[in-house]
Amino acid sequence: MLIGIDVGGTYTDGVVFNQSKVIATTKVPTDDNDIKSTVLQVLDNLLLQQDKSDISRIVLSTTVVTNLLATGKGERTALLLIPGYGLPADAYDISDDTFFLKGGIDFRGREIDQLKENELAGVCDNIVAAGIKRVAIVSKFGNRNDNLEKQVRDYIIKNYPQLSVITGSQISGKLNFPRRATTAYYTAMTSKEWNHFVDEIDKALAERGLDCEVHILKADGGTLALDISRDMPCETVFSGPAASTMGALALAQEGMNAVVLDIGGTTTDIALLIDGVPLYASKGASINQRYTHVNAFAVRSIALGGDSSITVNAGQVEVEAYRRDVAACFGGRSATVTDAFNCKFNLNIGNPELSATALEQLAGRAMSKEELGAAVVAIVVNRLGDAITSMFKEWENEPAYKVWEVINKRKFTLEQIIGIGAASRTIIPELADTMQVNYFIHQYADVANALGAAVARPTLVVNLHVDTQTKIYTLDPGGVRGSLENPRNFQLEDARQMARNHLQEVGKERGMASYTNESSFFMEEQFNMIGGWDRTGKLFDVGIQVTPGFIEEFKGVKA
Amino acid sequence: MKPTGILFFPAFDWAISPTHPEREERLLYTRDQIFEEGIMDLPQIKEYQPGLATARDIARVHFCVPDVEAQITEAHLVSAGSALRIADAYMQGEIKNGFAIIRPPGHHSMSVSHGNRGFCNINNEAIMIEYVRQKYGIKKVAIVDTDVHHGDGTQEIYYNDPDVLFISFHQDGRTLYPGSGHMEELGGPLAYGTTINLPLAPRTTDTGILYALEKLIMPLLEEFKPELIVNSAGQDNHYSDPLADMRFSAQGYARLNEILAPDIAVLEGGYSVQTALPYVNMGLIMAMAGIDYSNLREPDYVPERMRENPANLEYIDKMVKQQLQVFRQREEQIARNRKTRERFHHVHKQIFYDTDYIHEDQSIQLRLCPDCSGFRLIESTAQHRNGYHYRVYCVSIPANACASCQAEARSCYTDMSKNDRYDLVYLQDRVNNDCRSIDIKKDVEMVL
Repeated sequence: MLIGIDVGGTYTDGVVFNQSKVIATTKVPTDDNDIKSTVLQVLDNLLLQQDKSDISRIVLSTTVVTNLLATGKGERTALLLIPGYGLPADAYDISDDTFFLKGGIDFRGREIDQLKENELAGVCDNIVAAGIKRVAIVSKFGNRNDNLEKQVRDYIIKNYPQLSVITGSQISGKLNFPRRATTAYYTAMTSKEWNHFVDEIDKALAERGLDCEVHILKADGGTLALDISRDMPCETVFSGPAASTMGALALAQEGMNAVVLDIGGTTTDIALLIDGVPLYASKGASINQRYTHVNAFAVRSIALGGDSSITVNAGQVEVEAYRRDVAACFGGRSATVTDAFNCKFNLNIGNPELSATALEQLAGRAMSKEELGAAVVAIVVNRLGDAITSMFKEWENEPAYKVWEVINKRKFTLEQIIGIGAASRTIIPELADTMQVNYFIHQYADVANALGAAVARPTLVVNLHVDTQTKIYTLDPGGVRGSLENPRNFQLEDARQMARNHLQEVGKERGMASYTNESSFFMEEQFNMIGGWDRTGKLFDVGIQVTPGFIEEFKGVKA
Repeated sequence: MKPTGILFFPAFDWAISPTHPEREERLLYTRDQIFEEGIMDLPQIKEYQPGLATARDIARVHFCVPDVEAQITEAHLVSAGSALRIADAYMQGEIKNGFAIIRPPGHHSMSVSHGNRGFCNINNEAIMIEYVRQKYGIKKVAIVDTDVHHGDGTQEIYYNDPDVLFISFHQDGRTLYPGSGHMEELGGPLAYGTTINLPLAPRTTDTGILYALEKLIMPLLEEFKPELIVNSAGQDNHYSDPLADMRFSAQGYARLNEILAPDIAVLEGGYSVQTALPYVNMGLIMAMAGIDYSNLREPDYVPERMRENPANLEYIDKMVKQQLQVFRQREEQIARNRKTRERFHHVHKQIFYDTDYIHEDQSIQLRLCPDCSGFRLIESTAQHRNGYHYRVYCVSIPANACASCQAEARSCYTDMSKNDRYDLVYLQDRVNNDCRSIDIKKDVEMVL
């Protein structure tokens, strides 16, 4: 039996799933100040009717790290940057405690400027004097050569043992120094709290006698073993939208161009499926308006849901970003989006008469309640429709760097809207009708996110960069750097093999060996380097991944 | 504040040949540098997706022999199309300025294209400018060619157009391909003075080039008052370029673009792929976006080694004064040319296509119209690499042609359309946006 728990902004959902069937569901209000207790309450509700020994896997999607970063309550962390030449220092407005060091690496991983040790000592003294205990060290092109980062790290470990240190090259092997710096900084500042959360969950599960696999859902829709997640808290951001996208995929299971709409009380999360595959954010997860190297689905959130308040000012109808109460049809104080749809389409939700009364009251003398309802429906449908259209325009307008990519550029033709979340049944039929496209809302659409978490499989991305002239390779994750044994005859196939081996090794460490056979290459680049008119070496960039998908035992959802 | 538009199209799957300077690797390190810097993530920058040019966009500028498809690959359509995309973004007010970092390059391509010369088949800037003039109705354009090689293709295309100010500074043609770009090349009789060349001595530094910029190029732009300023942005004046011998730096390129403030920059040459391009491209982006570039430099840059020779500054100053005078007296000169010349102005020239090893023979007639800047009739012959010897006749009507020139030029096209001396006869009518050609042997007219 599988358990999935999705911590949302307002509610936390849980499901027990077994052999294609949803066995139990539960829903409790989320306590943002004590997410651990919320999770355990959901777990205990689910366990009430189950035999603990039957539980084989628990997957959590949590907002612990997302909230920490959003509220800026992480641990105070110093960001030590080695930017070398290029953008000015004020381009790196990431941490209030940013320190700069001399030194430089270039795109080939060549060291062009060295560290200045006396400068380093001064900076470290300042960090300690400020009472800071955590440091993230990131150098430009540190992903190509982590030498400077390691020198600084080793110096700090030796001379300032009270400081905890991480380096950018450990966090990501991808190009983009500011994103690496941001991700390393966020990782360092959430590390303590996240580890505390993991400790408490571990303890609570032991107290309940649960001895099963426990995973965390990541922003890319894949899972990660709870103990492995200790080193990478940032991977757990935005797991809520990832859960709903995986839930939609689990319920729909068709390779279409679709849009997933998760319509809740006050927000709607929109994700795209291209031929049934979720679309990634091309610039990585954006946290606090900063791009990171965290792989995440491209999810757009708009402040609009079933409970969104309606106001009328001087005849002008507005759908507000806030919620005052539940819908009037459920006993709420005033008219909401749900009430407007309820009246206009005779949906018979809750007590429809209460919807009608609330609308009539709000409409006053300015208009009829029918006019008000129609106006609200039009606003909601337009806003969602525009957001969807602009999302696929954005996908169509992604940059391309090769001729064949431009020539073979595709247009996005929407084939289906997949609705999940409590308010989707209310809103989506009308939206789909306006957009002239089919829709699909499964009977378990309300718990799709928890279900998506329960059946998601682990994911893993490996990036390899090889330079046969400098004879150096770098592998990500883990910031592995080594020298090539046979650089002269090194070919693309060797690079593929190397990346595949790393995937299998890391897969084994992470307890996901069985999935690494289902990997696929997503990038294969090779360039000849020419000096004069001769080839002096080759550069390879190879990427291989286990894409988001479902665990082996998942065979669809039966009614 | 509007962002700066960047369109980065490195054509990682296109090369002239595996070890040619125009190979896949050319913008690889530029990619690494601009991606690692994360400059595309800044709010001052908006990245654009490549576009595709149409055969008609190309035929508005070029007479491709035998047809557009024969002269280009898909990469050329994307490269030219990308320039159009950035021009649209600029003209529609989405961006304050834009930089198309694209390849293949184009500034050596002339009106008639029999093949590749100087790594170019079609002229990206001219295609962009004619597109913009057609679509947005602007007239006056200035092109500043900052490539180390003389922009002979662009010069030839606009040699007779008084509404396009073409300025090129470059390493002296006596020491570098393509060998042209001398002080005396000043434009055709009716467009005299709107072609300005500044052949610089080898080893000219930041100081020399920026002196020419401030003393010559900026005053010319000030007086000409163009509606659009285009930088034909080669990067091979750099001190490390393997094909040339100048001493310009990344800081120099950044400063140049800060002062010049082009509306649109389009990448041309530059073949120091590791030592120059990553830094020069960063410099251009930063300068155009108004980002402080004082922390930018090449790892091997030693300013002390780049001191300008005072004698060279005097030499530049002399050229500057002479060209300013030419420019300021251009209208009087054009008026004299109109009176003294005959009905048609005849020119004969030979053009060599270094990449494809083609010799072209051209005979040009320019109508010396009293009311406009005339139209051109070009007869061109060349033996292509497949052994076939082409003879073509081209009629080019510029956007500012008067009604009688238009009528006369169109009748030239009709008259020649049965003349079996030629393989192909072309009409390029920019007034009516009409591009067509006739294959004489097949007796088929193709309208683009």
